[in-house]
Amino acid sequence: MAVTPHTVDELTRAAEPRSGWTAAVAKFARERPLGAIGGAIILVMVVMAATAGFLAPYDPLATDYGAMLTAPGPGHWLGTDAFGRDVLSRMIYGSRTALMVGLGASLIGATFGGVIGVASAYFGGRVDLTVQRVMDVFFAFPVIILALAVVSILGTGVGNVILAIAVPMVPRCARVVRASALSVREMPYVDAARAAGYGHRRIILRHMLPNVMAPLLIMATAFLGEAILLEASLSFLGLGVTEPTAAWGLMLRGAAVEFAESAPWMAVFPGLAISLAVFGFNLLGDSLRDALDPRLRTQ
Amino acid sequence: MAYYILKRLLAIIPTLLGVAVLIFLLLRVVPGDVVEARYMGEGGQFQSQDLMQIERKKLGLDQPLWKQFTTWMWGLAHLDFGLSMWTGAPITEEIQLRFALSLQLAVMASTVAVLLAIPLGVLAALKQDTWVDYAVRVFSIAGLAMPSFWLGILMILSMLIFFKWLPPMVFTPLWVNPWENLAQLIWPALAVGYRYSAVGTRMMRSTMLEVLREDYIRTARAKGLWLKLILTRHALRNAILPVLTIMSLEFAFLLGGLVVTEQVFNLNGLGMLFVEGIARRDYTLTQALVMLVATFFLVVNFVVDIAYAWLDPRIRYR
Amino acid sequence: MRRLARWLALAAGAVLAFPATAQAPRNGGELVFPVPSEPPSYDGHREETFGLIHPIAPFYNTLLRVDPNDPGGTKPVPSIAESWTVSPDGLTYTFKLHKGVKFHDGSEMTAKDVKATYDKIIFPPPGVGSTRKGAYVVVAAVEAPDPATVVFKLKWPSASFLAGLASPWNFIYKADILAKDPNWYEKNIMGTGPFTFVEHVKGSHVVGKKNPNYWDKGKPYLDGYRAIFMRDSAAQVAAVRGERAHIQFRGFTPKDRDNLKAALGDKITVQESPWDCILMVGINHTKKPFDDKRVRRALSLALDRHEGSKALSQIAIVKAVAGVQVPGTPFATPPEELNKLAGYWTDPAKSRAEAKRLLKEAGVPEGFSFTFSNRGIPMPYEPLGVWMIDQWRQVGLNVKHNVIEARAYFGVIRKGDAEVHMDFQCGYIVEPDLDMYKFLSTERNPANYGFYQDPVLDDLYDKQSRATKPEERKQLIRQFEKRLLDEEAHYLMTLQWHRIIPHSSKVKGWTITPSHYLNNTLDAVWLTE
Repeated sequence: MAVTPHTVDELTRAAEPRSGWTAAVAKFARERPLGAIGGAIILVMVVMAATAGFLAPYDPLATDYGAMLTAPGPGHWLGTDAFGRDVLSRMIYGSRTALMVGLGASLIGATFGGVIGVASAYFGGRVDLTVQRVMDVFFAFPVIILALAVVSILGTGVGNVILAIAVPMVPRCARVVRASALSVREMPYVDAARAAGYGHRRIILRHMLPNVMAPLLIMATAFLGEAILLEASLSFLGLGVTEPTAAWGLMLRGAAVEFAESAPWMAVFPGLAISLAVFGFNLLGDSLRDALDPRLRTQ
Repeated sequence: MAYYILKRLLAIIPTLLGVAVLIFLLLRVVPGDVVEARYMGEGGQFQSQDLMQIERKKLGLDQPLWKQFTTWMWGLAHLDFGLSMWTGAPITEEIQLRFALSLQLAVMASTVAVLLAIPLGVLAALKQDTWVDYAVRVFSIAGLAMPSFWLGILMILSMLIFFKWLPPMVFTPLWVNPWENLAQLIWPALAVGYRYSAVGTRMMRSTMLEVLREDYIRTARAKGLWLKLILTRHALRNAILPVLTIMSLEFAFLLGGLVVTEQVFNLNGLGMLFVEGIARRDYTLTQALVMLVATFFLVVNFVVDIAYAWLDPRIRYR
Repeated sequence: MRRLARWLALAAGAVLAFPATAQAPRNGGELVFPVPSEPPSYDGHREETFGLIHPIAPFYNTLLRVDPNDPGGTKPVPSIAESWTVSPDGLTYTFKLHKGVKFHDGSEMTAKDVKATYDKIIFPPPGVGSTRKGAYVVVAAVEAPDPATVVFKLKWPSASFLAGLASPWNFIYKADILAKDPNWYEKNIMGTGPFTFVEHVKGSHVVGKKNPNYWDKGKPYLDGYRAIFMRDSAAQVAAVRGERAHIQFRGFTPKDRDNLKAALGDKITVQESPWDCILMVGINHTKKPFDDKRVRRALSLALDRHEGSKALSQIAIVKAVAGVQVPGTPFATPPEELNKLAGYWTDPAKSRAEAKRLLKEAGVPEGFSFTFSNRGIPMPYEPLGVWMIDQWRQVGLNVKHNVIEARAYFGVIRKGDAEVHMDFQCGYIVEPDLDMYKFLSTERNPANYGFYQDPVLDDLYDKQSRATKPEERKQLIRQFEKRLLDEEAHYLMTLQWHRIIPHSSKVKGWTITPSHYLNNTLDAVWLTE
């Protein structure tokens, strides 16, 4: 590093990549077309979620027993479900639930995981060792099983499902973040901050956390997709979001099998929506990983 | 080396103890117990408190928590898992067949995953940034993106509708009838293996890319694909190692985490047993299952660590 | 509309396709059937799940049984007891037992075994649980004066006592074994039934084979059976469709039936019956404004049951609009009586207007919001929940759906925090005493999750229970029903469950009944090839 920093904060900033926001996006799209496709899919999803009320041709909750299981056609572009509810409208509104669950779980998981990981690396020694052992304990549980246990305790519903999905994410985030934070800890500006007499909290939150954002962001993006899948799996097992909420996993449940032959549109479209969304997040996460942090590739 | 092995081995014990405490407490926080699940489960009929107390006493649920925990630990220390609270049968008996199924499925799925991941990853790396690379990545990420139950349902339905064929309904151990056994397990193994290959493919691709950047290979660049492959053969072996590592860690999760796949393919494996164990508040069974999966995971981890230390002596002294 | 017509045609076909009895039964073959849940133990006296009945009942006999050929599921007929007499005062029942009934270990079954069995159920020794003790409070003593005679002494005359002895749960156990260990039957099997136990592979299947020494000569027809545990309903349907299984005895959904029929045509026979199970809405009387009967009646009136039946019977296992008894059985509500019950009649416009008026009168504002707790079981809880929430919305009520995990459900409801919830009742025999017990005051029945006291209702129950004349009993049941569902609206009935069994046409000698606990001894079942 050739800069001669003057203040601790400047040191911290110097460690961050500096480039124009738009230029970076353009470069990213040019160099990583797959990542750009992923980004585009997510953008469509976000727009859908934001403008659901405007886009959806029907009320997603309105039942119409006169139009049960209508095949796709001019009245209902993607057909209706067993209650005569419009599949397209439910899919559009379902993107809201998916984003809410994905973003919620990622945000909670990444925040807690990030702080725990950085703190663990920062303090080192016995604290680090204890945190590591506790994380190991959580690690030894398969993700779905930990989520199942949490839902069994808390009950179903969007909020609880978000928590259930976030819990298994914490130790995984913490582990990745800790690895990066260990090297950040050795950076001169952390030493300087410590010498300047800053408190632990300030050093962790202001100086170290921003510098492990790259791996955290990558984890969170990849996890977003996984959270959407996990929610679908929980719904499939009857432990996810509950009716009559419009949610993709819920739309697939039961109906996917029973009506797969006579009303395939009920299973095909929400399944595609989930696959596309997760696909998008994974493509983006993958490319971000390559672009932002080459070291992570081998982890 | 012996010291390192011992150190790593001893580190497993506190983790296992932590897992034991965590699952023990988690289960007791879930509302209701096995007696309620049994007598209020089907129709919400009400049974007299007398009957409930008799049943609780039979199962030792009337004892204080610390006592329940120490009894359980004492049994575990003697490798005695105890009886299932739901069926009253020894847990080893309950788990036996399901463990055989889950283990075999995990092995088959991992094999499928490795067989897909290594060639695809190498191919993508050799043809980096061409349509081949993109196709491979899209293919593998698509596997990751499809809900496994959706893929499973599509597979079963298409077999039934187009071929009028259905996999066997009951698990037959491999040594009893290999044909029946494979006819049942090959489909979930394909579905799961495809999904888990994505991680390996990605890893294979990036390690291969690094190898390919090394100087002596760059000089051979103009001399054609096959030569390049031969040149990299030696390097390939090193590139495969991290892939196998990550796959083996996934392998441990395959043992107990295939809940949804088991449901879709109608397999009575450990995953479904776990779900039922929680639903029925069968503490003893669920605890035993978690300990089993956790031990498996930790042992695999341990073996991987030791293997690494063997290959790279620097690690031993860290 | 065309879809509806096709469906109606199918339903009509189902009725016509009743099993032919003219053919002579054929011996041989193995019956294969999936069972959606695995038995926790083998003790019928202890468990409450059909997952025990389906694979285990063929190993046993009961004293009486419900006529396997009666689609009503109400008529007790001889089984191990070949005949019986009742004393004029209705307090002494004397049963003559079949001669030559043997346990599978070769020992003779006598009155001693019957007495030991019923003593265990009715008067369990201290420290031994009995699940259905409460159903036999009327019994004063069981006696075995000689090896072929069993006598039951009652405390008061009871209209439902014989039906109680036909309970599918009360397997006859061996006295010697029970004397040694009353819990022996939890882990072992030793019965007198038409099939003997071969194996139970945990998590997989139970196999039974023909009992060559069965006392009912000539039976069973099958060489054996294989009960395969399959949790997933799609897998069960696929098994029948792939012709790997003959029948599933619990029931499939209307859509499954249509798919099977469309795929296999004549190879599938469909039997249907109203099901002695019903989901009803429990209303917590301790929560405002549900303590007001006008509000409760409004909730009931808001449901357009007849229109709901038409729609939901296409997608869920529900169909008939009914009162407190299964339609088509002796004490069921006749249509003209049903038409007098508020909300159960066929005029939705009148209902809705009345519902809105009642809500206004009770001071419940437009858009009033409450929580409806539902159980985390997809079929038919979920479709009924979605339907009701939408119905209530149409009278200006804003209802939140709170789904609780299936096993934890009743534990949560019992605490009394829920406002309005889904409750469930499922009988193993169609009998008013069993089916109506649920609605008695909390004091009498702790499983009353509406938490109300209604002495008038309790009194009507007791009267009908002792009314030995059917006409008189019918009148009392109608009064009970009117008070429960209309005047007080303590509980709201949704729609009666509808049992649909599409099975391989090879299966003969089995008749559907309104209960999936009944008619599973398999002694008369045979296969055409």
